[in-house]
Amino acid sequence: MSEEVKVKKTAAMQELEDKMTMLVQTGRLDNLIDLLAVTSDQIEMTTTPIVEKMVHSIDNIASAGFVTENAVRYAKRESAKNEVPSLFGMLKLLKDEDTRKGLAFMLNLTKGIGKQM
Amino acid sequence: MKKKILIVGGGTAGTMTANNLVNKLMPEIDRGEIEITMISDSKIHVYRPGAMYVAFHKAAGHEFIRDQRSLLMLEVAFKVDKAVEINSKENFVKGASGEIYNYDFLVLATGCEVAPERIPGLKEGGDWFYSYEGAKKIARKFEKLKKGRVLVTVNFPKTPDIPHQCGIAPVETTMMLHDFLVEKGVRDDVEIVYSYPTKSQAVENGLFLQAPTSEVLPSIFDSINVKYKTSFTLSKVDPDKKIAYSQEGEEMEFDILMSTPPFIAAEVIRTSGLSQALDNEGWLPTDRKTLKVKGLDNVYTLGDTVDLSVSKAGGTIHNQVDVLIANIAGELRYGYPTESYDGKVIAIAQMGLQCGMPLWYDYEEDVKPTPCSKLGSFVRLGFNKSLYWAAARGML
Repeated sequence: MSEEVKVKKTAAMQELEDKMTMLVQTGRLDNLIDLLAVTSDQIEMTTTPIVEKMVHSIDNIASAGFVTENAVRYAKRESAKNEVPSLFGMLKLLKDEDTRKGLAFMLNLTKGIGKQM
Repeated sequence: MKKKILIVGGGTAGTMTANNLVNKLMPEIDRGEIEITMISDSKIHVYRPGAMYVAFHKAAGHEFIRDQRSLLMLEVAFKVDKAVEINSKENFVKGASGEIYNYDFLVLATGCEVAPERIPGLKEGGDWFYSYEGAKKIARKFEKLKKGRVLVTVNFPKTPDIPHQCGIAPVETTMMLHDFLVEKGVRDDVEIVYSYPTKSQAVENGLFLQAPTSEVLPSIFDSINVKYKTSFTLSKVDPDKKIAYSQEGEEMEFDILMSTPPFIAAEVIRTSGLSQALDNEGWLPTDRKTLKVKGLDNVYTLGDTVDLSVSKAGGTIHNQVDVLIANIAGELRYGYPTESYDGKVIAIAQMGLQCGMPLWYDYEEDVKPTPCSKLGSFVRLGFNKSLYWAAARGML
């Protein structure tokens, strides 16, 4: 059973109809529906463990960025504050525990890369 | 002479404040005009909402704990020292080590803590998920649960119009419990009873602290067969008989009592003489716009320790912190604070194990309940496991 319903078209409804008509006539609506379907499928196929693994990787990148930013700011400030060190000054810098910690980390980083080559 | 900013507390509020202050005041720091120090009683940082997932074996717990130093920008001097005295007349905080920390500006970000001992028998007979120890304990009980009744209770501070920590958490965990028991195949044999006290901030005899959500909850609970009981203000627990008693004169038996226990401010605040809260709860009198401690021109506060009506949650702190740091920067640069907090809270509630509901509200408008979604749950998961740490570091 079908029923005839009369609807008074508002200006907003007319505007919507015009825009939708344009999308239908130009064939764009098909693409937009495909896009919505693909997006919906992606959500459907994504599982909690997949999201966990993804966000873990994002966290690793963000953490590396944070450490690097901190170190670069520190190095810039120290370089601006001090003259270019002499050879003796370099050795003095090497004696500093934080420098040695950082250098050891960089050497271990190099070793880690080497192990993968 | 360098201006000293001292932050007391290394939780969400303190850490976000410290890092965002560094970003905001970088020109002054580069010129050597500012010194930012944080003291905390712990060298580790705990993301508290993670405990909720531990309660249902959806996380082990270690994922939500990090070394505090690793979360702070290098410009923040960090010391592990428990604050034991705040002297706002002479502008210093004393640490348990005996060290005196002078300040020009002080930020009190000391949070709040569970106080189950304030209800007779609750510590012995009840469980809660607001700490990792508590969550691990209740997780073991849930794992063994095959039949019986889980009773959910909620206690509010005695000081009027102050919420307990994370207002939506009792609803979230009730729905997570339902899903967990369905997963285990024992839901039909376990009765879940969600109870709520007579007085809860703006609502009386309801199921939530804001009216729109309180009104929609019965239909949500009916749809998952959760029983609900209004006007049950937990006053006593008999741990041997496993009976919960209410101020209203009722009693209810339980097999597991999943409670939201009373909360109080940190000891250093409660003993500071700065709070006028009832029952020595310790909430700091806070200017709702500037986030200054009332009556103290150079002391700010945010997060769980304030006496504001907004949620004691990370989604509140994330919005408060931008106001607070702008105001300290304003005072340093122009001599007066420039920003005003509108009470904004933004969060994603975990409505069951697989469903997330975005929510936002402020001083003027309550939460408008919206349908939860799988995508919402993924965003919440992303925040729990990754974005939170970036937010704490001041990166977003």
